[in-house]
Amino acid sequence: MTRPLLIMFLVLTLAAGGLAVYANHLRKRVAQEEKRLSEQSKVVLPPAAGPMSPVSLYVAYDLEGGLHRVQDNLALPEERSERSRTILRALLTRYMQESSSHAIGASSDVLDVFLLGPDTAVVNTSAGFADSHPSGVLAEELTVASMALTLNANDPRITRVKILVDGKERETLAGHVDLSRFYTANDFELIVRDAK
Amino acid sequence: MFRARWRRAGLALVFVLAFGAGMVRWLRHSVVLAQPSEPLPLSVYSRSASYSVPLIAMNGQPYVGLVDLLEPLGSVEARPDGKKFKLRFSAPGSREVELQFHDGKDKGKVGGESIKLAASFVVQDGRGYVPLSSVSEVLSRALQAPIRLNPSARRLFVGDVGKRYSLDLRSGTPSKLFISFDAPVNPTIATEPGHIRLTFRRDPVVPSVEQITYSDPLISGARFSEHDGAGELDITGTSALMANFADGGKTIVITAAPSAPAPPPPQQVPAPVAVAPAVPAEPQPKPAGPPRFFVLIDPAHGGTDIGAAITKDLPEKDVVLALARRLQHELESRGIAATLLRNSDTAISLDQRAVTANAAHPALYVALHAANTGNGVHIFTSSVEGSGVSTRDFLPWERAQSAYVEVSTSVADSVMAELVSRKLPNTLLTAPLRPMNNIAAPAIAVEIASPDTDVADIANPAYQLQVTQAIAEGIAATRNKTRESRP
Repeated sequence: MTRPLLIMFLVLTLAAGGLAVYANHLRKRVAQEEKRLSEQSKVVLPPAAGPMSPVSLYVAYDLEGGLHRVQDNLALPEERSERSRTILRALLTRYMQESSSHAIGASSDVLDVFLLGPDTAVVNTSAGFADSHPSGVLAEELTVASMALTLNANDPRITRVKILVDGKERETLAGHVDLSRFYTANDFELIVRDAK
Repeated sequence: MFRARWRRAGLALVFVLAFGAGMVRWLRHSVVLAQPSEPLPLSVYSRSASYSVPLIAMNGQPYVGLVDLLEPLGSVEARPDGKKFKLRFSAPGSREVELQFHDGKDKGKVGGESIKLAASFVVQDGRGYVPLSSVSEVLSRALQAPIRLNPSARRLFVGDVGKRYSLDLRSGTPSKLFISFDAPVNPTIATEPGHIRLTFRRDPVVPSVEQITYSDPLISGARFSEHDGAGELDITGTSALMANFADGGKTIVITAAPSAPAPPPPQQVPAPVAVAPAVPAEPQPKPAGPPRFFVLIDPAHGGTDIGAAITKDLPEKDVVLALARRLQHELESRGIAATLLRNSDTAISLDQRAVTANAAHPALYVALHAANTGNGVHIFTSSVEGSGVSTRDFLPWERAQSAYVEVSTSVADSVMAELVSRKLPNTLLTAPLRPMNNIAAPAIAVEIASPDTDVADIANPAYQLQVTQAIAEGIAATRNKTRESRP
């Protein structure tokens, strides 16, 4: 092999090696960034302030295929829609815990609850709520039912619930359950088991 | 001298770059070639099931998915591992056979013995594909049974399953041609002046008499051919012909059609048993007589919509398609005709599913789903309010199911009772599941989850068989009630 060819070969080899190291470095940076973003996007409930109030949560249990009513205590804001939002965020936080009976995606959140008239609540969820929700008829129905029933249990005037994703209407939650309609507490009578 | 060397080195570099660019173009071209085009179905006939699997064009020739092909014939456990593809298969009453292939290689092993394929094996998205031209050899070794493949007609016979027929022309006024089979048949019948065509898509009818000519004033001949995944018997006559079934469907009698004021246009006469379409079912013409009783099975998702990822390599769309084929077989073995709304990996929108179902007028619509959460079998009926609504009422699209809720609930209860009797974990609920609310027929949805803590067990053939048997029994038990609900 002539000297110029040898030099060319060495230069190309060094360039290839350098690129491989750089690609590996980029990959690690992307993974770190994704991890950081996913931790950032987890729902963080505001610190408890003021007196604690008892709330009822309808909690889903995948293996039983039903909901159980459980009691909890939360510091609730005065304003009615903010109070509903805080309760729903507490419900989703339960589902995002490791030992959850009904796991949902880590980036799930309730962005807003809008009250339309005396009886209708429109719940605006984060995109991650639907995008990372486990796909399945039962899994999706349990989530929607637990949210609708929890809202109704803590504010009996709310009898109709509509769920939006990132401000928009979606056809289904994760491929199965209809999100284009309004739900009432009566839609999910069969899914409620005894209180826990 | 020194400059000449650098020039040579430069030329070498240009050559390397040109070679690299060529390689990139070749790779891109190969990827384009490997993209599946619109699949055509291969009709497979065996003692346990008649079904169709999609043929996918790759590397310039048709390929067939190994799991799609073997699943209805026995127990299949596929283990894709990167470029390696291993599969364990056992037919009922036979020993287990292991098949091993490697992506891009034409050599593999079936039951420990080497096999050379006509073209390279392909692993794509965790699925293994064999060239159609090698299917006979692979199957005959895996099943230890004779295989007959007609590649141009896309018909595959596993074992000695061919239904033969005999022709008996009885002259008279009018003359009658008796076509006798050794078992009942369900062809699609098409008539046009001077011709009547019997198309056997699900019946494994094989050529017994390929062509015969008669010197009869009415019937002048018959010719059998195989094409497009079906066998076709074309009977020619001097005037319009019609077909009647006799002897419990074992005999078809061809004779002169009653004279009409004007020659009838070409028309399709629906067969007594529905034929599974390979693509989204076309709306079928409603028969003039009593409506046919058949179950429309809707395997959810398909195409780019994979549904739930049951495991890394097992999408919901594949689980439910396999389950649908099993359910179709179980229903048909109980004398209930069944059609699949999707019989290949095709994307169909929710509204399109409802439109197809409503146009086909099934006696029962069954949507199949699979999930990696919960366990056992979840049965759902629509959550729409159904009291006080009649099938004669004009109903809005989103409440089309409300007239059928009562019958749907009866079918769901019956299926539940069968699941309970088989000690299978179960849940019965109503659900706001699309497109159930849009179905103008009794409708249930079945979601299958793993029977235990291992989600992969959802694909266990023994478990799927138990589930489909329970569903089929439950449907069969309420057949009369479902029939009465039809408007």
